[in-house]
Amino acid sequence: MSEWKPKIVAFLCNWCSYGAADLAGVSRMEYPPHIRVIRIPCTGRMDPKFALAALREGADGVWVSG
Amino acid sequence: MTLNREPRFVDPSKCTSCNDCVDVCPVSLPNEYDQGFSSRKAIYKQYAQAIPGAYMVEKADKAPCRLACPAGLNVQGYVQMAGQGNYQRALEIIMEDLPLPGVLGRVCPHGCEDACRRCEVDEPVAICDLKRLAADQFDPRQVKIDCLPVRDEKVAIIGSGPAGLSAAYQLIRKGIKSTIFEALPEAGGMLRVGIPKHRLPRNIIDNEIELITNLGVELKTNTPLGPELTIDDLFSRGYKAVYIAIGAHKGVELGIAGEKAEGACQGVDFLREANLTGQAEVGKNVAIIGGGNVAIDVARSAVRMGAERVTIIYRRTRAEMPAWEEEIAACEEEGVEITYLSAPQEVLLTDGRVTGLRCIRMELTEPDSSGRKRPVPIPGSEYDVEIDQLIPAIGQRPDISALQSTTGLGFTRWGTIEVDPVTWATGRDGVFAGGDVQTGPSIAIGAIAAGKEAAESIVRYLDGRDMAAGREPVHRDDPVYRPVPADEPPRARARMPEISVDARRGNFKEVALGLEEEKGRAEAHRCINCGYCCECYQCVDACGHNAVTLETHAEQPVTETLDVGSVILAPGFEPFDPSVLDNYNYSHHPNVITSLELERILSATGPTGGHLVRMSDMKEPKKIAWLQCIGSRDMNRCDNAYCSSVCCMYAIKEAVVAREHAGGDLDCAVFYMDMRTHGKDFERFFDKAREKEGVRFIRSRIHTIEPVAGSNDLSLRYQLDDGQSVTETFDLVVLSVGMQTPPEVVELARKLDIELTKGNFCKTPTFDPVATSRPGIFVCGAFQGPRDIPQAVVDSSAAAAAAGEILVSARHSNTKAKEVVPETNVINERPRIGVFVCRCGTNIAGVVNVPEVTEYAKTLPYVTYAADNLYSCSQDTQDTISAIIRKERLNRVVVAACTPKTHEPLFQETLVNAGLNKYLFEMCNIRNQDSWVHKNTPELATEKAKDLIRMGVSKVALMEPLRETAFEVNQSVLIIGGGVAGLTVANNLGRQGYDTHIVEKSDQLGGQALKVYQTADGKPVAPKLRELVREATENDHITIHLQTELTDVDGFVGNFKSTLTGNGGDETVIEHGVAVIATGGQPDTPAEYQYGKDPRVITSLVLDQKLMAGDTGLNQLNTAVFIQCVGSRQPDRPYCSRVCCTHSIDNALTLKKMNPDMNVYILYRDIRTYGEREYLYKEAREKGVIFIRYSLDAKPQVAIEEGRLNIKLADPILGLPVQISTDLLCLATAVIPNKSDKLANLFKVTVNDDGFYVERHAKLGPSEFATDGVYLCGLAHYPKPIDEAVAQGLAVASRAVTLLARDKIYTSGQVAQTDPSLCSSCKVCVSVCPYGAPSLTPEDARFFPGTAEINPVLCKGCGLCVASCRSGAIHLKGFDNDQIFSQIFSISHALGM
Repeated sequence: MSEWKPKIVAFLCNWCSYGAADLAGVSRMEYPPHIRVIRIPCTGRMDPKFALAALREGADGVWVSG
Repeated sequence: MTLNREPRFVDPSKCTSCNDCVDVCPVSLPNEYDQGFSSRKAIYKQYAQAIPGAYMVEKADKAPCRLACPAGLNVQGYVQMAGQGNYQRALEIIMEDLPLPGVLGRVCPHGCEDACRRCEVDEPVAICDLKRLAADQFDPRQVKIDCLPVRDEKVAIIGSGPAGLSAAYQLIRKGIKSTIFEALPEAGGMLRVGIPKHRLPRNIIDNEIELITNLGVELKTNTPLGPELTIDDLFSRGYKAVYIAIGAHKGVELGIAGEKAEGACQGVDFLREANLTGQAEVGKNVAIIGGGNVAIDVARSAVRMGAERVTIIYRRTRAEMPAWEEEIAACEEEGVEITYLSAPQEVLLTDGRVTGLRCIRMELTEPDSSGRKRPVPIPGSEYDVEIDQLIPAIGQRPDISALQSTTGLGFTRWGTIEVDPVTWATGRDGVFAGGDVQTGPSIAIGAIAAGKEAAESIVRYLDGRDMAAGREPVHRDDPVYRPVPADEPPRARARMPEISVDARRGNFKEVALGLEEEKGRAEAHRCINCGYCCECYQCVDACGHNAVTLETHAEQPVTETLDVGSVILAPGFEPFDPSVLDNYNYSHHPNVITSLELERILSATGPTGGHLVRMSDMKEPKKIAWLQCIGSRDMNRCDNAYCSSVCCMYAIKEAVVAREHAGGDLDCAVFYMDMRTHGKDFERFFDKAREKEGVRFIRSRIHTIEPVAGSNDLSLRYQLDDGQSVTETFDLVVLSVGMQTPPEVVELARKLDIELTKGNFCKTPTFDPVATSRPGIFVCGAFQGPRDIPQAVVDSSAAAAAAGEILVSARHSNTKAKEVVPETNVINERPRIGVFVCRCGTNIAGVVNVPEVTEYAKTLPYVTYAADNLYSCSQDTQDTISAIIRKERLNRVVVAACTPKTHEPLFQETLVNAGLNKYLFEMCNIRNQDSWVHKNTPELATEKAKDLIRMGVSKVALMEPLRETAFEVNQSVLIIGGGVAGLTVANNLGRQGYDTHIVEKSDQLGGQALKVYQTADGKPVAPKLRELVREATENDHITIHLQTELTDVDGFVGNFKSTLTGNGGDETVIEHGVAVIATGGQPDTPAEYQYGKDPRVITSLVLDQKLMAGDTGLNQLNTAVFIQCVGSRQPDRPYCSRVCCTHSIDNALTLKKMNPDMNVYILYRDIRTYGEREYLYKEAREKGVIFIRYSLDAKPQVAIEEGRLNIKLADPILGLPVQISTDLLCLATAVIPNKSDKLANLFKVTVNDDGFYVERHAKLGPSEFATDGVYLCGLAHYPKPIDEAVAQGLAVASRAVTLLARDKIYTSGQVAQTDPSLCSSCKVCVSVCPYGAPSLTPEDARFFPGTAEINPVLCKGCGLCVASCRSGAIHLKGFDNDQIFSQIFSISHALGM
């Protein structure tokens, strides 16, 4: 199981978490490459259907941050 | 005004912040942003989010080692390169100035090391040995020397010593060939014939001469000047210039009898013979006269050549000996005897051969012209020694016999050639001279320098240019260097291994073996980096963008002059440095830190990534103490008597955050004098920290922090209220340091001639809080007085208003109109997508396989073009992209590069320039969120890049052109509330020519200020208030509506329509672009302390009115008592009213002034005289006002007993009950807002639990609402004194003008839009929108009545309504469902799902 890498779809708020993910890059922090970020204008835009769609498509986890 | 601009050394317009330069920079320095907890390079960016994002180089003056070197070698540069193990680059740096690195690395007397500032810590860096290390590790002959194309002119050089070789080398680099004429059979001059092989092996000289001849320099040995070869001959043979560098090879005679006899020879002659032939006549018993390096070289050579006894006779002591100490020591080791304080008098001969020497003892007297003590003979102290060889080595001079007849040459009385000191030109045109022949015997590096300078002169001479221009030596009296770090640990200097003394006999093997590589690199790291940047120019090579070049490295400070109409000063503060306070042990104990240091430790971008540890031992602390008022409210140990205003709040925040980060049972204790949480919502935070978070607050000023013996912990001793003394141990102690004005700002204030307060803050009047004493110069931020962020933001906007007001006439006079490219219609076209993949130098391409990704992009649906770029953001690439869009008729564009947060606008502009709507664009973040964070998994990073591009392509295919609609902004302003804040807005905007309406519900303007007696600076309020009212009344642009209320509001930003209703029911409708809520507050009516039951119990504002009325009864009072926090800071009203402490103290002082014998008491919970108001508190105590503290659970008891007004309370210091009979009891009542839910609803703004309006952002948007076009100031925001209300009024004016000045506003294209046919009129969108954008169409509308519509002007595009719409009736343009779903569906390929 230690080899298992969860596949995560992240919905990040343009104004905070998306910027934070940029800053993680500027600071050269490393994290596993199994995450795909979708930029949304605000977590207010987040629709439960998006999370369900991501899970249905095979994501192991959905992360909403904002 | 005149400005000095310090150079950045990097072109910020070209720098892409890619960090490549940082990777190669060898100079590590403490990172100030991380409070020294981490390191940064000399080329750096202050912090990750710094704006501009470009890097900069830190430089000081040229390092002292470099200045000490006659040839000006960039010592710091090659030392750093040696430290990196980059010996080739080290040699390149050395060989800029010196072609003989291995030679000088052995024989240089290294004056640089004497100048080395490492001496302040221990010993100098072994610079010379590091030079040799570089030449040992990398063959200098393999260093590529760049030479200009060879020219026709040739130059003759006489002498192949260091001066001649240096000149030839520098000339050939400039394309000028030369021939070196050498008298001796081998080249090298004194390097070869003067220095024995045990110090300088011959192959080193040979190799380095070879590198010069390899460049095309011609060398002719056995070709002395003389009758066969004169200077004139050289010119007639076609040489265009001649450089004379024949050295000083003639020994100086002793001037005593017998020194020419058999068995005597000059030291230089001895060495020349030994060095050229490998043998020379050596006696058994050799005496050498002299104390220089030649004497030592002769002695050590004689030992090696078999002499049994070698004695050096020197007339001074060892301390005066010019030879190097290490040479003297080595020769002693090898068995040479040195006789000090002795001079030869006569050579004793037997049969004409040397057999002895008569010497005389010397003694030292006062120093002579050389600074050394002058030796004089001691009469009668003659003695004889037996010798069989005498070698005088007391000096050399040039042999100029072959030059004397040359016309034009001049000679000094020491037999050296006369030259111009700057150009090294002799009296004869085209003839130059340098080295020992010009200076007399000197050091090799001096000759190298001379050769280099002569080469420069010769080039200029051949070019016909001025030889002297710009070459005068620059001397800086007071150089600026990196300070030697106080905590730099001593580290032993590296020493070269040597062959044993026994192994030296009978041979000339090199003694010193050179530094071992590892030790050498460590030695290089002892360098302090005096100049910060070492100018190794590795960054120049690394920068793929030409942002840092040799030219930018040479930037100089520039003076700029600007024509300005007003100036705003915002120079900020510096934190107090607690190292001056010994009792806190800050300098000596690593676990005593400042609050700023803790901020970095708690920060996610800090040195520990937010992991709370002690940096000294990386241990997680269990107990932390904060000590308040460090460098504030302290006249004894520092001069900062004021309160720094922010420290209480930040300490509480740090304690709460520390507990969050520690995640366990971290014990936090804050030691304070008065807890000052007087800001909006601060008291609530304090309550929560104390009651919910368990932060301990202990009222005690700690005197000393003691280290706990045998541990790294710290001990604090304090007293509780009951007098009990407690000693407690903590892991970490945080000093809550205050703010102060930096000395350079005080100096700036002096230059600008503006007045400061006694705390060194800018002096400003209450009613003009951002004006300095000099008209036209304004101030904001901490220089105006210690303050927190919200206040600083208010003041900055206020300063902008004040500065802008006097510039009204110049508005729009410097603006340019932008050229508009007509937009191509792409509607109904099939998508033609172009994908541009950025390499970002190596930032992306170094990890992600960019060609593979680009090829992949070409396979995606609708992609008609894909290419990669080196730097997509460079101007030429922008032009290329624009051209490709047109040529390929692209109608959608994807750029896979960095982040849209910074670069989306740039690429959108490119689209616009190509005639495409800017919303037909998508950026894929393959740098910040890919290559930079997955550098160890390049394959997976490449896959991720492909996925991101596929997601981007699928989204952009669904993008449509979006419109940004323009709306006119009505230029009128409506202000609700005619108090100080509202009047300030009206007057400022009125002066700027905007029509302004003030709506005031009472019958007069002025608000609460009408009832206030005086300001904290002791000035009466009434006259200034009258001025404000008069101006508003007289300004034609200002319309005043008294006894009027706002009853209805329609419309939105730029286009409001408001209904005003007078007290007679008359209605007026006003159209306006912006609205200001300045509805103020009022004093609470107390329900305690016998208020209303006794005329002696009054409120603060009633006392003010008595003072204004000149009530003489006040003089007659024996006793007056003030009770603070009446109605404030209690469970039903958990906020501090901010103004009352200062107000009561001010009034107490007024009463004391009226009657100094009056007993005045102030009963308080915490005194909150923040900022420089603290002086009033201090003055009150000095004047005898008695302060007695009470707590919320033991409020003072007031009773009317037998006509007396008695107050009882427990004095916590005395621990005893106190009773005061008073003639006056003044209650400092809470300030409560004039809360109006109706008004809040009309403008769709919110109020908090306390009834104050909620601003857009507590810190960054304190004077405006989330609803566009509606602003907030005065007591309606939070209780505040007059100066702060005026400042916020100005701030509102400034914020409003940013909108009014635009005439038109544009909607964003990315807004929500309803489909009314699907709307079910549920109104959820209306209720969830924080900006009031959705509304229902009127029931009587012709189409879709009663359905939702969204005002695009108000919509911020957040999508909240879209997600909450149950009917699916709302679409968010640019982030619509199908677009986001298309991204989600593209991921499935991506993750291999």
